[in-house]
Amino acid sequence: MTQARTLHVRCSTWEQVDVFTTRKLRKGKLLSMKVPFETTIGSRVTLGLELPNQLVVAIDGVVQRASPIAVEPGKVETTARTWIEIELTGLTDDVMARIRTMASEESEQHTPPIGGTPMVRRKTAPVVDDLPADEKALFQHLSGELRRLRSAAVHDVLGVANDADAAQVRTSWKNLVRRHHPDLVARRNAPAISHLAEELTILSNRAYDRLRAALVAEGRGTIVGPTLSSPAGWLVGFDDIASGDGTISPRASQPRLQHVPDATPKPRTSPTLPPAQIHGGEAFEQRARVMLGQGQAQNAREVLAAALVVYPRSKSLRSLYYVATAVVALQDGEVMLATSQLENALAHHESCVEAAMLLDHVKKFGADRNEDLMRIFL
Amino acid sequence: MSRAVGIDLGTTNSVIALIDKDGAPRILTTQEGSTTMPSLVWYSPRGPVVGEAARAGLDHSPDCTIFGAKRLLGRRFDHPEIRRLARTLPFELTEAPNGDTWVQLAAGRAIAPEEVCGLILRELRRTAEAFLHESVTSAVITIPAWYDAAQRQATKDAAQIAGLTVLRLLSEPTAAALGHGAHRGADRRFLVCDLGGGTFDVAVVDVDAGVFEVLATTGDPFLGGDDVDRAIIENLVRDVRQARGIDITSDAIAIERLRLAAQRTKHELSDAATAKLQISELAQLPSGRGVEYNRIVRRDELELWASPLVRRIEAPVVEALERAGRRREEVEEVLLVGGSTRMPAVRKEIARVMGQEPSALPNPEEVVAIGAALEVARLDGTIEGVLLIDVAARGLSMSTLESECEMVIAQSSIVPTREHRLLATRSDNQPRIEFDMWEGESPDPSGNRHLGRYAVVDLPLAPAGDVLVLVEVTLDTDGVVRLSASELVSGERLTLEQIFHAGLTRAEVSRLAKQVAEIDA
Repeated sequence: MTQARTLHVRCSTWEQVDVFTTRKLRKGKLLSMKVPFETTIGSRVTLGLELPNQLVVAIDGVVQRASPIAVEPGKVETTARTWIEIELTGLTDDVMARIRTMASEESEQHTPPIGGTPMVRRKTAPVVDDLPADEKALFQHLSGELRRLRSAAVHDVLGVANDADAAQVRTSWKNLVRRHHPDLVARRNAPAISHLAEELTILSNRAYDRLRAALVAEGRGTIVGPTLSSPAGWLVGFDDIASGDGTISPRASQPRLQHVPDATPKPRTSPTLPPAQIHGGEAFEQRARVMLGQGQAQNAREVLAAALVVYPRSKSLRSLYYVATAVVALQDGEVMLATSQLENALAHHESCVEAAMLLDHVKKFGADRNEDLMRIFL
Repeated sequence: MSRAVGIDLGTTNSVIALIDKDGAPRILTTQEGSTTMPSLVWYSPRGPVVGEAARAGLDHSPDCTIFGAKRLLGRRFDHPEIRRLARTLPFELTEAPNGDTWVQLAAGRAIAPEEVCGLILRELRRTAEAFLHESVTSAVITIPAWYDAAQRQATKDAAQIAGLTVLRLLSEPTAAALGHGAHRGADRRFLVCDLGGGTFDVAVVDVDAGVFEVLATTGDPFLGGDDVDRAIIENLVRDVRQARGIDITSDAIAIERLRLAAQRTKHELSDAATAKLQISELAQLPSGRGVEYNRIVRRDELELWASPLVRRIEAPVVEALERAGRRREEVEEVLLVGGSTRMPAVRKEIARVMGQEPSALPNPEEVVAIGAALEVARLDGTIEGVLLIDVAARGLSMSTLESECEMVIAQSSIVPTREHRLLATRSDNQPRIEFDMWEGESPDPSGNRHLGRYAVVDLPLAPAGDVLVLVEVTLDTDGVVRLSASELVSGERLTLEQIFHAGLTRAEVSRLAKQVAEIDA
């Protein structure tokens, strides 16, 4: 009988804690790791998870699998090495909830980390309180900007009028980059600030590339700067470029990459759709409502799904997505699914009128009289 | 307190520079007193020898002396250019399990080009440490502008093997413009032609109030001074056969001697109309008697031999101008960088293509490293008001199992940038979705470079099509690709698994880094 060993996992940032709990663990409690000792299946180990706030959470576990690592020929290993897989029996939902609460309290002001494959250099995010005053102010300023620009339409991101010409677009993009480029804050050695700056630059660059493509497509003068080939794929987020719709949409003959259910070719625009000049998430909402009113719930759902990519924080878009899903379910006669989707919609956005009305309708008629549903959206 | 340096990791020669205490950029000299160090590693019986000292290996054991490792870095073994190159190299290339190109040593060991470059970088790092008397842990490393994501990652891996953190991968033409002092002069529209030992780079760079904007980059990864050397050798071998009646094609040592002499002659011919090529002992006759080889080489001969190569300069230049949406008359200054631009034929060709005389830099070999050192200063805030804006040299595409590749990020997009794609499950309770990433914009996968296959795993159980996975592709300022996946509707982050990935694994890199660090001890 081997004694219970303790393994320490040190997380110096909340980002790492997040990575540990969401990505390192399989099925929520299986952890594979390399340990410098020999062990057998069934032995007990305790995992000490060291959190950035100096707390250590002890989590019991049992070794489920163990395989010694072959020593490379010609190299003398002084210590035995074993790959083990531990089932963290002590990692109950309670413990997880506690860690999550701490993490969300501590990292509230951080924007969600951009995750990635192991290719990503993991940067350690500093605790905001440790930043000197001017950095803190900078951080707040940048995150405020990011929040504002994330939900803005392309023209607003660049701060130009809707009919701005190529030169204006270029000037304002350049000014934005001059203000936010991550290189300008590199000397601060503050990863959180660099990250915000990078995100802001990504936003401006994307807006610029989109507008540029639209202007070129429109034939409004040659553009100064690199020419772009038209990007294919889901660019619905920037449909509000008046000219963008027909010209930067994917080549119709090509098979589409994303396999959204029943992605049958459908008209991307129809005369009844709202004018494209409306900016922000609202355009999508209106468009989706029109589609729902026309009984094209499936299409509406796709449009909303795409819109959510661009406006992930929009409650009304999210609730409308659930409503559209519910309508699709109703068309298939799945009342239970529809009900749960509508409840979801209300949970996300209490004042979602459509969801409330639909829910009433479903309670009264079930999956019958679906033709009445469309009227709700008109 | 550790310092950062700027490194021009060249195909044939590497240069290291830093910013002096008085703020001036300075090229460091090697032990031998030269400003450039040959990018050579000789795997001698007593361990690896790097730089000038490794030249001895070219004579003794050409099959264990690796040059031009930069050309092999991050490239697939089955690439036609690599196949072509493999036939001409004195050492043997082999295919790594993941399809990368590795070097097979005579001793039976296969080594990754990352390791070779890592050793070169380590040697440069030691040069800097000897000069500074303090440790050097980070660097700006220059790379050809057309490097794809795998090659960029491989360069970063090489730096990690050498114990260096990469502050920035800077494209060589941008570094050249920076090193030329373009940020101090008037606003100009540049075309930078960088013809080095092994690669040719073209970039259209605008400098406007301290903002360097790369509008387009193109290049030819297999065109450089080494190819000129090879052309000379081919012709001389024919000449030897005719004049002496011996065939030295398969005599690696004789070819190596010829290469050194050809290089010297080529350099002399940049300034003179004729040069004398002398090799006291080229090869041995079966009787054991040495064969002497002397010959006068004229410049017009050299130009004739090199003309197929010189003609290849035009296409990338024209393409770069086209991509930048610029006519050649609009270019205000043509910068020539890289040792091979000293060749009069090259200058003439570029002048012909551009319709204007290019600027002659006094130090075309060093200007890139100076640019890298200035970049270090720029990043730490010593130089203010200068900003570099770069574009993606190539587009990125994505494909799922059966579909064609579909473009995600367009060529010439300004970096950093990010795009997303939606993937949906196609069967009920589908646990994972696999997809491939490609570099290139062709719908046909065979026209693109495979970067890797990834899987989004542990998907929530749901009917087909209900799980929508949002895959975000970020191309950062270094031109390195990052991926992340999340469930669209809930916004929950999903696990991405690497099934196949070009280049070394993290574990291999750290193992090599440890191994290389042990050589020091």
